[in-house]
Amino acid sequence: MLYLGPTLFGFLLGFILGSRIKNNPESEMHFPYSSYIVVIIAALYMAWQLGPFPYYVDSPLASGFVACIIGIFAGKIVFGRQPTKT
Amino acid sequence: MSTILKIFVFPAAMLIMCLGVLTILGGHITPGGGFQGGAMIAGAFIFCAVVYGLKENTFHFSHNFMAAMESAGALIYVGLGLAGLIFSGFYLYNLGVDLYSIVPTFIKNIFDYPDPIHAGIIPYLNIVVGLKVMVGLSAVVIAFMQFNHEDENNDADGESDGK
Repeated sequence: MLYLGPTLFGFLLGFILGSRIKNNPESEMHFPYSSYIVVIIAALYMAWQLGPFPYYVDSPLASGFVACIIGIFAGKIVFGRQPTKT
Repeated sequence: MSTILKIFVFPAAMLIMCLGVLTILGGHITPGGGFQGGAMIAGAFIFCAVVYGLKENTFHFSHNFMAAMESAGALIYVGLGLAGLIFSGFYLYNLGVDLYSIVPTFIKNIFDYPDPIHAGIIPYLNIVVGLKVMVGLSAVVIAFMQFNHEDENNDADGESDGK
């Protein structure tokens, strides 16, 4: 069973943090969207290893952790994109 | 800073931030809470700031963002306290739990945190404290890095004037 509290507020806090991700196009480091897939896999593995923390009876993944990483990506997609040059 | 660090730090910072958020969200039933989780999130930000520098940092904590988060955190904290004062007569009374059964049921339901513990306003206080601590610690490091940058610029100007 998934609880609303940690899921909702995890997403909200993640969204706030994700909205601040802005990759500098002049930087020598570039993180393409494919690199975010690696982060998602690592995050899901971490959430699996964390288990149903901190309630111990809900889903086998740490729901707050998963909600936060989803929120970070949602915030990045909504507010963190580079303006396209026309 | 080395290329290996630059490749590693941004993804690692995202995962550390998630751990910080998890620490905030579990603060009412496990060790941790707003301060610890906020410090973890700020640590992830500082990790990025040290490796990429302020200019190329992937997490842009602008002045307006930090002011908004700090103000929102403080105002919501005070607001929760005043709500307790208004509905029960006690500042920061836990309206969601209502141990003394002195508030109406609909008020109790509004301030209830939807999880099996039903800890009332404690998780909300943790969240706003986490926001404040995250911004506060990040602001300190940003200020130090900017001072350092200004000192370096002044030194460079002094050397060029001397020549």
